[in-house]
Amino acid sequence: MNQAFLRKLHKILIEIIMWVISLVVLIPLLIVLFGSLKSAPEAAHFNIIPPLEWHFENYIHVIKTGGLINAAKNSILITFFSIALIILVSVMCSFIIARRTGRYSSIIYNIFLMGMIAPMQLITTFGLLKVLNLMGTYSGVILIFSATQIPWAVFMLTSFMKTIPREMDEAAFIDGAGPIKMVFVIIMPLLKPVIATTIVILSMSVWNDLMIPLFFLNSSSKWTMPLTVYNFFGQYFSNWNYVFADLVLTALPVVILYLFFQRYVIAGMTAGAVKG
Amino acid sequence: MKAKNLLYPKYLTYPAILVFGVFFILPVAAAFILSFYDWNIDRLLTPKFIGFENFKYIFGDEYFILSARNTLVYAIITSFMKILLGLALAVVLNMQLRGRNILRTIFYLPAALSYIVVGLVFSSIFRMDGMFNNMLAGIGLAGLQTDWLGNGTTALYCACVAEIWKWSGFTMAIFIAGLQSISSDYYESARIDGASSLQQFIKITLPLLKPAISVNVTIAIIGGLKVFDSVFVMTGGGPGFASQVLNTYVYKAFGEGTLGRSSAMGIMLFIAIFIISSISNNLTRRGVE
Repeated sequence: MNQAFLRKLHKILIEIIMWVISLVVLIPLLIVLFGSLKSAPEAAHFNIIPPLEWHFENYIHVIKTGGLINAAKNSILITFFSIALIILVSVMCSFIIARRTGRYSSIIYNIFLMGMIAPMQLITTFGLLKVLNLMGTYSGVILIFSATQIPWAVFMLTSFMKTIPREMDEAAFIDGAGPIKMVFVIIMPLLKPVIATTIVILSMSVWNDLMIPLFFLNSSSKWTMPLTVYNFFGQYFSNWNYVFADLVLTALPVVILYLFFQRYVIAGMTAGAVKG
Repeated sequence: MKAKNLLYPKYLTYPAILVFGVFFILPVAAAFILSFYDWNIDRLLTPKFIGFENFKYIFGDEYFILSARNTLVYAIITSFMKILLGLALAVVLNMQLRGRNILRTIFYLPAALSYIVVGLVFSSIFRMDGMFNNMLAGIGLAGLQTDWLGNGTTALYCACVAEIWKWSGFTMAIFIAGLQSISSDYYESARIDGASSLQQFIKITLPLLKPAISVNVTIAIIGGLKVFDSVFVMTGGGPGFASQVLNTYVYKAFGEGTLGRSSAMGIMLFIAIFIISSISNNLTRRGVE
């Protein structure tokens, strides 16, 4: 009786401590959220006191003067086409890796695995884009994003593909389906859950990336959302309320995606890691 | 066996190999070659072979050495802390707490944020008039106040804090997956034998968690060595060169147009990542059945 009570108390205590520790995560987020709704002098205090007056117009100012509509368009375009290309080529490739017996598929697979570890070579990638006349273009950035993320997508899709019974393919083959039809009509619908997970995680990493757009998109009219905050550093060095509002707008789509699909995000990211 | 492969033609792999080959492998191969050339932005298509000159130059460059050292320090500190905090969070949030799902969601959330958000929030926290200094004043340590990002000895560690904050929840998630794969039978019998919680943790949890530890260490070290975003956003490598890491230094050299030299630096990072990640993989996998 007494023992049970003590154990319960112990648990409640741990729970309270964990909520206090969670403030370490929540407080920086509150600085941004509250800061984005403050006046400039008030935001410069960088504290977590709620705004005295709620300046929702900060967001309108940021959207108008920071070119955020344009940046959102750029981000959506780059994210969408990168992911479309990655999924398209990775589904076909992982189907073969998962199914073919022999040395070919294991060599390809291992090359992709190394691609997950190796750092990209920024300078020669720049040279390549220059030579191909793709420097500073959406297509260039989409191809670079695709190349860096394909290994990861192949890895995720291959491990899932191996759980789909081969009998499916044989039935399709007997019905006269060619390999391409087999992948896209028979296999792809069975991959829905893992494709959804892959899309969510890829969208987050492409949307959030700084280095690739920074290196390979030299004109600010093509900048993606995360880079727009630099508009406010040049012009309004002290206006942290605008900086924070810009950060909220940049983070919002990804945070919403995370909160909606968190089970898939966490399962996908950890599965990808653990099976490696 | 062979006949069956006919169903699975190689050509379906070609599009993925093409994109990855041209836009990832080709630049890596080219960097290996061009690091032996005098190559710069004005003579993009006419590099000149100069042997090991670029490597001689960068190893004589004190800022390159500093960047390499900083990169290593960053990778070691952040990996150690991510593992420690991630493990602690995982062990506690694997217990039957009522709010554990919400808590897990909160702790994982920073992993979903862009470095621009994480970096700038921590820049604001470590400013002279930021929250960290206010906190120090609040607990009577006003004497320790400094401009954390503007101070050469502390700037790099501020970037480490942001990195640890961003990824500890991710490390936690991998540890939780590892903990859930440990059968509760082990703990049952340990309890019958009268083992304390600490003994159980050391004798059961840690050994059986080795695969998760190995994965986490490898991911954290590779991520740490590839550092660019957090340092770029928070300090830009400064003040001076104090917090420069390899990737930000490459970016700087790139801005100056010395492409051959920057490629040589990129290659050194490439080699370092392969050596260090295979060492860490070998060390941490030892004893994993």
